[in-house]
Amino acid sequence: MQFLSANFVILWVISFALYYLAPVKRQWMILAVASGLFYVAGTGGLPVGLLLTGAGAYACGLYLKRSLEAQKAALSDLADKERKKAVKVGFERRRKRVQILYFVLSLGILLGTKYMVVILPFLQKAGLTTPLGDTFFARVVMPLGISFYTLTAIGYVVDVGREQCRAQENPVRLFLFLAYFPAITQGPFNRYAKLQGELERAHVFDYERMLFGVQRFVWGAFKKLVIADRINLFVGNVFGSVSEGVPGSIYALAVVLYMLQLYADFSGYMDMALGISETFDICLPENFKRPYFSKSVAEFWRRWHITLGTWFKDYVMFSFIMSGTGRKIGKNAKKRWPGMGKHVTGIMGTMLVWLLTGMWHGRTVSYLLWGVYYGVIMCVSLVLEAQYGVWREKLHIREGKVYGFLTMARTWVIVFLADVLIRSESLAQAVGIYRALLLDFRLKEGILNVTSYGLSKYGFLLLAAVCLLWLAVSVWEERGKDVRRMLAACPLALRWCCYYGVALILLISGIYGGSYDTAAFLYQSF
Amino acid sequence: MMEEKVLEILEEYCEEALDYTGDNMMEEGVIDSFTVINIVSELEDAFDIEIDAKYVVAENFRNKEAIIELVARLVEE
Repeated sequence: MQFLSANFVILWVISFALYYLAPVKRQWMILAVASGLFYVAGTGGLPVGLLLTGAGAYACGLYLKRSLEAQKAALSDLADKERKKAVKVGFERRRKRVQILYFVLSLGILLGTKYMVVILPFLQKAGLTTPLGDTFFARVVMPLGISFYTLTAIGYVVDVGREQCRAQENPVRLFLFLAYFPAITQGPFNRYAKLQGELERAHVFDYERMLFGVQRFVWGAFKKLVIADRINLFVGNVFGSVSEGVPGSIYALAVVLYMLQLYADFSGYMDMALGISETFDICLPENFKRPYFSKSVAEFWRRWHITLGTWFKDYVMFSFIMSGTGRKIGKNAKKRWPGMGKHVTGIMGTMLVWLLTGMWHGRTVSYLLWGVYYGVIMCVSLVLEAQYGVWREKLHIREGKVYGFLTMARTWVIVFLADVLIRSESLAQAVGIYRALLLDFRLKEGILNVTSYGLSKYGFLLLAAVCLLWLAVSVWEERGKDVRRMLAACPLALRWCCYYGVALILLISGIYGGSYDTAAFLYQSF
Repeated sequence: MMEEKVLEILEEYCEEALDYTGDNMMEEGVIDSFTVINIVSELEDAFDIEIDAKYVVAENFRNKEAIIELVARLVEE
């Protein structure tokens, strides 16, 4: 079920009404039922992989809780320090084994489902098709949002083991945390300790909050339908056409627009998800903080898909580096290469995270290369960070507005080059595009033919106008202003003119229905 | 003494952390994960402690006082 569908709006409105009519102690149940309906209606089948992952997280959480309690009881009876340490290590080892078993099970299900698309054609070629047909795999084995669900479940199990939260005793409450419907398909990633508190507290209807939630949803839909899907008309045609003959200048414009499309699409989805959740008085973590204002790639990734970045950092990078193997490598490197050796574990952790981030986003070699590209850039910039300051001083570069803009432009170029890789239909096409950008730019031909790739002159003008509006809102937000509160403080007539203006542009200029189909959210496939 | 040593390590790896007065250094980009790893490694060597991954969270690295507090707790254990 898509957010931008009549079925979803019906589900939202009914669950919203029941939620505030229900006794406060039962409100979470309405959300659990709505999440179940959203899921089943979205996949049209029984999500077996998802149920197994959820059941495993529940059982594992309970085991960890019992083990931690037993450990505390056993340690309280002991006085000898050495004996205490030995007992603690024994308990920790057993907990680690159970956690590893769970990670193998849940990641096995995730990888199995993700790579089933790759494996299935080979099975079919070999005549090994399932008697239930492909639909069985599509609906039952490959359920919607399993990547987000699995990583959230793993995060929960790690947090319980680290005593950062208490295990959930009620399986339905745990299901609600894992499959809370505004966040299930594309995130944001939730941490149990935070979201559970939100789900458990009492929620009272508030008109302003509801209005703000709906506003944010509409703004997200605006970004998706008016900006992202309009850009898709051009980008889809450029990348879908045969590589030969397309000038480098058209590719350059297509990649720049793709950068905006991806951002409008994904942040638009997040606005919708956070807006829906806000109407239920449940606060979800922000996933974007205007990444194109970043002055470095590291900052860009602190502002883009924030919750995925912190997930990988907290649960993969630090876990690896603080593990026995990670520490051993770090100590050996320090001894062997005094000075630079201290960076070795950081480099390994960063590269590991970026390889996994590449694999998370796609199944092709292009995505792996994309991960390696960012990993290398991050490592080089972090290792040389101190040196940059020395160079700046030597070259007498002042950190003024021009310097700030140039550092932002540098970030755009780095992201531009990476986006060629992930938007191209194949690695060969990506190589062809890099070549065209360098050796076959043909600017004049590109300008003359720019309207022959699916977007008319009117389309470009409209796109420029809505992008300017989007930029204005972003600049206000970047300056720390709350645009929704600014609007709420405006005189009534002006306020409703703004609301109607956005709604009208959305209705008239949104890309949906008729000759067009609303494009699926880009991140849904990641 | 312990406090001085922690501040010395912070000065070496992240001077901005010494002047930072807020309460979320990691999220505000004052200290990145790469620097956190280096600081953790130095703290472990300097105080002969083991900082488990469960302690390497934004809460314990929110500002210099939080880092001193974490080290004091682990030294005591």
